[in-house]
Amino acid sequence: MPLVKDQRSSPDPAAIIDFPPEASSLAIRGLSLAYGDKTALRNLTLRVPRHRVTAFIGPSGCGKSTLLRVLNRLHDLNDEVVREGEVTLEGEDIHAPEVAVAELRRRVGMVFQSPNPFPMSIHDNVAFGLRLQGGLSKRKRDDIIEWALRSAALWDEVKDRLRASAWSLSGGQQQRLVIARTLAVGPEVLLLDEPASALDPISTLKIEELIRNLKSHLTLVLVTHNMQQAARVSDYTAFLQHGELVEYAPTDTLFTNPRLARTENYITGRMA
Amino acid sequence: MTEASSRRLRLPRGEGAGAWLCAGSVALSLLALLALLALLTVRGLGHFWPSPVELVVLEDGRQLAGERVREVPLAEGDGVERLYRTGNRDLDGDRWAWVRVSAIEAVSHPADIVVLERRRWGQAIGRLAAFEAAGGERLEGEAAWPALEARLDELDALRDARDRLREEVILPLAGQRVEDSAERTLDAAHARLRELQAAMAGGRLSLATADGETLSVPLEQVLGARRPNAMSPLDRLAVWGDGVWRFLSEGPRAANTAGGVWPAIFGTVLMVMLMSILVTPFGVLAAIYLNEVAHQGRLTRLVRIAVRNLAGVPSIVYGVFGLGVFVYGIGGRLDSWFFEAALPSPTFGTGGLLWASLTLALLTLPVVIVATEEGLARIPDQQREGALALGATRLEMLSRVVLPMAAPAMLTGVILAVARAAGEVAPLMLVGVAKLAPQVPVDGDFPFLHLERKFMHLGYHIFDAAFHGGDVQAAMPLVYATALLLVLVILVLNLTAIFLRHHLSTRHGALTRR
Amino acid sequence: MLDSPPPTAVRRRLRQGRDRLATALITAGGIGVIAALLAIGLFLAVEVVPLFWPSGESSAIPPEALWGAGEAADEASRHRWAPTASLAPDEAPRISLVPLAWGTLEAAAWALAIAVPLALGAAAHSSLFMSRRLRSRLKPTLELMEALPGVVVGFVAGLVLAPWVERHLAEVAACLLLLAPGLLLAGGLRSRLPPRLQQSLPLGWAGLWLVPWLALVLAASVWLAPWLEAVAFDGDLRRFLEQRLGFDIAVRNALIVGAAMGFAVMPSVYALAEDALSGVPASLAEGAQALGATRWQTLWKVVLPAASPGIFSAVMIGAGRAVGETMIVLMASGNAAVMTLNPLDGLRSLAATIAIELPEAGPGGVHYQLLLLAALALFVFTFLVNTLAELVRTRLRRRYRRLGGGS
Repeated sequence: MPLVKDQRSSPDPAAIIDFPPEASSLAIRGLSLAYGDKTALRNLTLRVPRHRVTAFIGPSGCGKSTLLRVLNRLHDLNDEVVREGEVTLEGEDIHAPEVAVAELRRRVGMVFQSPNPFPMSIHDNVAFGLRLQGGLSKRKRDDIIEWALRSAALWDEVKDRLRASAWSLSGGQQQRLVIARTLAVGPEVLLLDEPASALDPISTLKIEELIRNLKSHLTLVLVTHNMQQAARVSDYTAFLQHGELVEYAPTDTLFTNPRLARTENYITGRMA
Repeated sequence: MTEASSRRLRLPRGEGAGAWLCAGSVALSLLALLALLALLTVRGLGHFWPSPVELVVLEDGRQLAGERVREVPLAEGDGVERLYRTGNRDLDGDRWAWVRVSAIEAVSHPADIVVLERRRWGQAIGRLAAFEAAGGERLEGEAAWPALEARLDELDALRDARDRLREEVILPLAGQRVEDSAERTLDAAHARLRELQAAMAGGRLSLATADGETLSVPLEQVLGARRPNAMSPLDRLAVWGDGVWRFLSEGPRAANTAGGVWPAIFGTVLMVMLMSILVTPFGVLAAIYLNEVAHQGRLTRLVRIAVRNLAGVPSIVYGVFGLGVFVYGIGGRLDSWFFEAALPSPTFGTGGLLWASLTLALLTLPVVIVATEEGLARIPDQQREGALALGATRLEMLSRVVLPMAAPAMLTGVILAVARAAGEVAPLMLVGVAKLAPQVPVDGDFPFLHLERKFMHLGYHIFDAAFHGGDVQAAMPLVYATALLLVLVILVLNLTAIFLRHHLSTRHGALTRR
Repeated sequence: MLDSPPPTAVRRRLRQGRDRLATALITAGGIGVIAALLAIGLFLAVEVVPLFWPSGESSAIPPEALWGAGEAADEASRHRWAPTASLAPDEAPRISLVPLAWGTLEAAAWALAIAVPLALGAAAHSSLFMSRRLRSRLKPTLELMEALPGVVVGFVAGLVLAPWVERHLAEVAACLLLLAPGLLLAGGLRSRLPPRLQQSLPLGWAGLWLVPWLALVLAASVWLAPWLEAVAFDGDLRRFLEQRLGFDIAVRNALIVGAAMGFAVMPSVYALAEDALSGVPASLAEGAQALGATRWQTLWKVVLPAASPGIFSAVMIGAGRAVGETMIVLMASGNAAVMTLNPLDGLRSLAATIAIELPEAGPGGVHYQLLLLAALALFVFTFLVNTLAELVRTRLRRRYRRLGGGS
């Protein structure tokens, strides 16, 4: 890992995020956001490293899910939202008028808290995004579907019943199906909004393993309530409170040697 | 408490009294509903059952033959009056006879009494005196009945052949007689038609009525003849089935007091189909706009309440709107632009199929909008976000995920709309229903579907036959049957909607339980 | 790694364009449809304007004429509706809408008088006592009752019920008198039954097993009617009513209309009232029962007050339906525009008048405009009543959510 210096020995908080700007996939500058007159995010600035797992942690209502939804512009659905500041994906402003939202969302995939497979067969769920893009032969599409299901570690469980309803799967399988569905359209970034909070421990472990495997070619952003989970899977962790970024550091540093008392209180309070 | 007091009949107290009255109101409502349905079923279906004909001898020696209808206590004094349907309106001027029960000497059920269904004048009841074949051959006594039956069967077959010839050969050719071959076929067909007509002509029968008169009826006037007193239960069942079938498949006769309701069924179905073709896309469009596209602010909320309330606006108001805007406004304009030649007699400037369908579509629009909106609101936002997160545009999200999931709700809405429209009569009285429409709105002439024509409707048929017919007594059985038919259609539609909604809610349960 | 090929720019633009077009179409269509719906009120208002502010040679109708010209000698003939009658030159036009409005309200009032107690009783029973299974069946059954076409109900009321009632006044009176005692008797008899039998006739299913009992009670009242007539009404109820009370008796009268329309309106009132009652948070009722109240006391003291706005809105919705119902009134009322308080006299409603007269009134004439004014009145009245009901219901729902969440 040439881009990231080992921070375990460094006590200097200023030097903590030291990957160069060109190594960042997403960059957020001065982002503020409000629902009507309720502020959700205040002047956030941070960079998300490419092909790493970045976790956002913080108490409920701290704005971490909101931040995630900004990154693929799902907040567009709500027309009460007022936004300031800039978000760039590989150097392009995602809110620029010439950006096609649908294409942005293809590049920045998202997996939600509770699994939301469509009421179709397993196959059709994964094919959904591919069909939207069009221009693929059926054979090529089926190859991609198999690859996506394999990447999501689901292939062996469902290969004999691809035509079965996606709703017949268990919760953990559904969540992996949703991940496979998202992988199939070839995103660069994968946003995960508490992907395991509705699952049992074994399914959770499977998802976590999947996340670790996926970072070889994807940038992952994970929102989680679960401190251990953040510690287990992420490379960097950002702690948010009241819509502000409190501390952002490599995961090991943040959990073992937090710079601020606020961070320490939150982490120890939960971890104790 | 002593043994005696516990045994005394106590009226329920406290929890009881009110509770029983409340339970009673449920029971009373159910009883009323049951009674109404039972009344319609019994009277509507019973009419087609060939009831026995009684031959009544009165004290003063007079005789009459007829089907017993009902008994009514006399207004003054004791005693009961009985109503008989005696037919023979051309002889007596009336087809009913009231008889004081106390004045009846004897009642018998002679097997040889014949009931005729006639094209004009309704039923005739009497004994078959003679049958005269087309050739002039005359049969009397017992031999007459089998001959008559055979001849009537023959006539039925001939009539069928004629109708088929008309529909299958002559009408399709009539429009396009250019080619020689077509001309020749047509001429041949006309020749055959004349042959058939000739074969049907002639013949008559004489009927000796109970009061001693003779009625001579040409055979082409006779639609059917039966001897109800001589029938076995199986025969009766066959006659009953035949009656029901003819009720459903034939047109009305004798100013809507006899015959069937086929044109009304056809008109109702056609109008309702047109209406649902109009209401479905617009209703769904408006619901999608309200729920998926519009800014969810105060204005949208107000519009939503207004749309809901429009479902409660009386149907007659929609009828007034239809008359003023569609018929007089748009229809009048259309007439002055395209149908000037026909003026002053209006083409589209009067009630018709198109305007009726449009009016009812407007009337049922709130039903479809509300049902669709409910279906859309039930779909979790996660499904929408899931589609968007995969790079779908809003249109793709709506058409591939949201609308398929909301389809059962939309279908429910459309079925409820159809059920409401099928029973609505008041607005139709203003925008296009007819007492008797000689032409069905669909025929072989271009453009095949005649949107400007008036049409018949089951509901209006009930109103008209019950209130505007000359002889309400005679029309009553048919009105019962028509009402039963209408209620059945609406019950089936509503049950379908209820079933769909139930299905929907269990599926929705699967969705949220997960 | 297998990756999907990046989508071509052309296709992307096509999808975007299609999306924009569809959004525009949906917006335009949606607004158009809703505007067409709302145009109904506007149309009626615009068409009625010339009645009061005429243009050109036609003269305005004096507004007083609509609520009755003052000169006529007696009260009854002041309010006359006969817009097509030929008048003497100096006679005021007989265009008073008062008798029609009176007829409309009278019919609605009688319908509500019958529907509301029935519906509320049924709602109270089904939300408090009824077994869950029966309740889930009763709702769709009553929905079917609501769906029965007005023309069928009107036919049965006008041509079957009305003549029967006219001939059997005493029987009807006996049925009405014996209905409630009969029900209480059922309760009393049940409490005397051995426990085994009592259990097979549970209160939760009373709505069902009381049906045959009620039929029995009604049959008994018909049988007892002559005796009642002899004892209480000098042997002839009809003469008693006509001579003692001075009632005219029309075959098709307000009571018949009320019964038929009550039957038609009852299911919708029931549905809304039942929603309101069963929506009362269970914690509230349980709290009262924990203090020792019976279920019946709980209903009166706790549930009813909490649900009263919902019940109010249910009654309002019922009133809206009863005012606008056309076919039942048309077929069961006799359509005579008389203004009396006598429930056995006929009446003529606004809606029925529109249905009868509008096809004959030429467009643009005064008669036409008057009928449109009547339609406008119906529209405004039902719209206001429904809006009021809807607002009350929304507020109530919010209150339940607070109560339910707070406890």
